[in-house]
Amino acid sequence: MMQPFTPLGCVWQFGAAIVATICFAVAFQAPRRHFLSCGLTGAVGWLVYILCTAAGLTPPAATLVAALPLTGLARFFAIAHKAPITLFLLCGIFPLVPGAGIYYTAYYLLQGEQALFAAKGVETLKVAVALALGIAIVCSIPLPRSVSRHQYRGPKKG
Amino acid sequence: MSDRALELVVEAGRTMLENGGEVFRAQDTMEIMARSLGVAGFHVYVLTNGIFASAESEGGELSAVRHIPRVRIHLGRVEAVNALSRRVAAGELDLPAAEAALAEARALPEYGPRLSVLAGAVGSACFGYLFGGGPAEIATAFAAGLAAMLLLGLFGRGGVSKVVTDIAAAALCTALCLAAAPLWGAGYQPPHAIIGALMVLTPGVALTMGIRDLINADYLSGTIRLFDALLVAGCLACGVALTYLAANTLLGVPL
Repeated sequence: MMQPFTPLGCVWQFGAAIVATICFAVAFQAPRRHFLSCGLTGAVGWLVYILCTAAGLTPPAATLVAALPLTGLARFFAIAHKAPITLFLLCGIFPLVPGAGIYYTAYYLLQGEQALFAAKGVETLKVAVALALGIAIVCSIPLPRSVSRHQYRGPKKG
Repeated sequence: MSDRALELVVEAGRTMLENGGEVFRAQDTMEIMARSLGVAGFHVYVLTNGIFASAESEGGELSAVRHIPRVRIHLGRVEAVNALSRRVAAGELDLPAAEAALAEARALPEYGPRLSVLAGAVGSACFGYLFGGGPAEIATAFAAGLAAMLLLGLFGRGGVSKVVTDIAAAALCTALCLAAAPLWGAGYQPPHAIIGALMVLTPGVALTMGIRDLINADYLSGTIRLFDALLVAGCLACGVALTYLAANTLLGVPL
């Protein structure tokens, strides 16, 4: 399902993930100056994901671990460029979206492999939940005042 | 004066939602702009596809309702409106200047349709590689991604429903990747190519936005978006399954 794990392969995959993420940045009409930041966000997520799966983690667990640095980086770029975090998160998340899970769920359903179908379906759902959890955890960490002052987070109350 | 300001504030919120901003961001942007522009008694309620706002003026209550039925992601415009609200809050822009800046943000150009289609195709090829494909699978994923993007554009202009569009795009990808099998001979793995092309169609936006809405306690909007994500995923699965079924029944392609 994945490329065999080699150090050189990791470099290639990192590059491919950057290009893939930038493609989404183009599709979502992100400004040109943010392309590289978007690409790096997605590629770091993918790199951590393949490292985790190579270390023997299941796809949902690897997704959760990968979503943490991915969202952290998106937040960093959002503050550094004074841009909405959505810009980086929306593009960068795509490599981790369980497209393969959707495919294999449909495929096993068709083959009449009920057990595999159920297993893949649940795994796909788990990956989606892991992704959600990763984003939620990192987005909810409050930042120190000196940092968050630079971040647009809505009106001051009162 | 106040109704012009209210109009500007609500239009800024509409621009955010229309172009893929989160619900809480639209709400925050509108509240911050309303306060900065001195709109009295401003209240606003935002959903994924609607804005309800009211304000007070000398003449009585003002209200504004906006319906946003379609979202076309344009992150450049979201960023521009975000920057606009910062400048209004910092007191750099008065009402006419803010109106001009909003018009400018809304008129930000899109990348050409050719570039979008190419991006979809290259993205598919990259994912074909990332999910284990060799040169044959990568080339096939590129072609399938290209075809899927053209189909999305065609159906989008024709006003075909989202459900049908997603099923048709997934079916087209699968059909192309299966049809390419004789071309490449033994060793060609259709699943890698299909997954590559499918990645471009996955509901990543709806999933991410739904999560962001839920984190910010916009439960209703979050549920709408997560349900959308689930629906799209189901449509893609349907498209893949139907094509495999048809190929198996009509042409005897092994499952």
